[in-house]
Amino acid sequence: MGTDDLIETFRAQLRDDPDVSSAVAAIRALLGFLKQDRGETIQGLRNSLRDAIDTLSRVDSSVAVSSGGELFLRFISLTSLEYSDYSKCKEIMIERGEIFLRKVSLSRNKIAKLCHPFIRDGARILTHAYSRVVLRVLEAAVESKKRFSVYVTESQPDQAGQKMAKALRKLNIPVTVILDAAVGYIMEKVDLVLVGAEGVVESGGIINKIGSNQIAVCAKAQNKPFYVVAESFKFVRLFPLNQQDVPDRFKYKADTLKTGQNLTEEHPWIDYTSPSLITLLFTDLGVLTPSAVSDELIKLYL
Amino acid sequence: MDLIRTEGQRMTAAQPSETTVGNMVRRVLKVIREEYGRLHGRSEESDQQESLHKLLTSGGLSEDFRTPYPSLRANVIEAINEMLIELEGTTDNIAMQALEHIHSNEVIMTIGYSRTVEAFLKEAARKRKFQVIVAECAPFCQGHEMAVRLSKENIETTVMSDAAIFAVMSRVNKVIIGTKTILANGALIAVSGTHTLALAAKHHSTPLIVCAPMFKLSPQFPNEEDSFHKFVSPQEVLPFTEGEILAKINVHCPVFDYVPPELITLFISNIGGNAPSYIYRLMSELYHPDDYEL
Repeated sequence: MGTDDLIETFRAQLRDDPDVSSAVAAIRALLGFLKQDRGETIQGLRNSLRDAIDTLSRVDSSVAVSSGGELFLRFISLTSLEYSDYSKCKEIMIERGEIFLRKVSLSRNKIAKLCHPFIRDGARILTHAYSRVVLRVLEAAVESKKRFSVYVTESQPDQAGQKMAKALRKLNIPVTVILDAAVGYIMEKVDLVLVGAEGVVESGGIINKIGSNQIAVCAKAQNKPFYVVAESFKFVRLFPLNQQDVPDRFKYKADTLKTGQNLTEEHPWIDYTSPSLITLLFTDLGVLTPSAVSDELIKLYL
Repeated sequence: MDLIRTEGQRMTAAQPSETTVGNMVRRVLKVIREEYGRLHGRSEESDQQESLHKLLTSGGLSEDFRTPYPSLRANVIEAINEMLIELEGTTDNIAMQALEHIHSNEVIMTIGYSRTVEAFLKEAARKRKFQVIVAECAPFCQGHEMAVRLSKENIETTVMSDAAIFAVMSRVNKVIIGTKTILANGALIAVSGTHTLALAAKHHSTPLIVCAPMFKLSPQFPNEEDSFHKFVSPQEVLPFTEGEILAKINVHCPVFDYVPPELITLFISNIGGNAPSYIYRLMSELYHPDDYEL
């Protein structure tokens, strides 16, 4: 399967189902790639898959695509260890891939079920930019007959907050869009902060849209709980110690990286929030404290 | 298993603040799962918990508990008996660790009355000399009973009121308390007044040690349900004899306090000492995630 076909499948997935996460779309595209692969050896398969993942990262440089790809590669390796016959191995891989995708599609509902009891009646929630998982959680809270109001940061430079506000208004939730700079001002009024994540790193911190770190610091200063919702395929094997440690290939959009201009002039799209600022993480593996995240990652990668 | 679950639900609904009932039901359910798994021929441990690994490698979606095994009943009963023996020995296990934590000429502070802390301090008193300050823990003043029992063992004890906790804290080396429940994020539900004690200890950088057996660990998180709150008759706070005032004011008498995990230094339980951030691990060993909601 050529690289163009792969990119086209990926883009088609994102187009047809705007609700799906980019990591899931990447994994679907990779599974299709796997099905059509003509190689005869595991090594060849791994190499071509690595190239495929690189291609996809060049299209969409988000952390989620990278972690989804890494997980898929890991999954291939684990399966290949069990069966020595290549063609049988491939069949099992394809079957397990389908099961994996099915499980993953249930993950948002699992998270919503875990998280909505934490939203009390009459709560005021602050959220950041546009996150489909947060939307699902709030939807579940509405379904369980809770009344609450939401403040959304506008989230420049792409005004993702406006998109979130529109979606929330459709659910009949009272929404207020606030400036990114107004977070410190509004923090005393909110009861809890709920954000999504593009990636969850080994230390238990998160990588999310720029501005999340600011919100976390303000929340800590005013003793408000900071909750993160993320699916488990977003766990990534990075351990940044500060903002500079986050690799450049995640910070900027794929197109900016390609033009190769001086990156110091560019604004990054994501930042890193350290685990000491996060109260709890809600994932489809359960409710985790930040220290439990590295445990989960070890269980997978060891 | 469904039978046990329904009974468990009935029992917890009767008194939601007694979380140990629910905990024990969950332990039994986990025991049943393990024994079943062992008979079914599955490998130990690895398949019990959700994990990314399991997400990637497992074939089917859920475990079916239908196959009957005649020896399952006997195995489960044996495991439960083992659990009973363990439960009876918890206080002694905790007390055995006392000598590592209490040193000579130390000033220890505690609050209210806890049998675990009493045993802990008594064990240490056999070999070391130290002083204890007990906060009386109004309005039930259980601290008085604690002080009486400790002084019978010739431990130098002082009783003081809850209001003096902060003032005395600068002289204290360690704070050792018991608790009613330990929550899944490492937080405590303990007698009213413990949060004040914990904040004072944090301010003076005094270590706060919690002595509690493992059966008090509950997989609940502090969320909306708030079912752990218990209020009793406000008679203790303001007696009914003060009739005229009563019409004009609201009187509450909460029994429990919530202490967040950041204020706690160490948990000492029958399986050893642990940091609050490690609680999630202990929980995964004791209970199965499907049982968190009974």
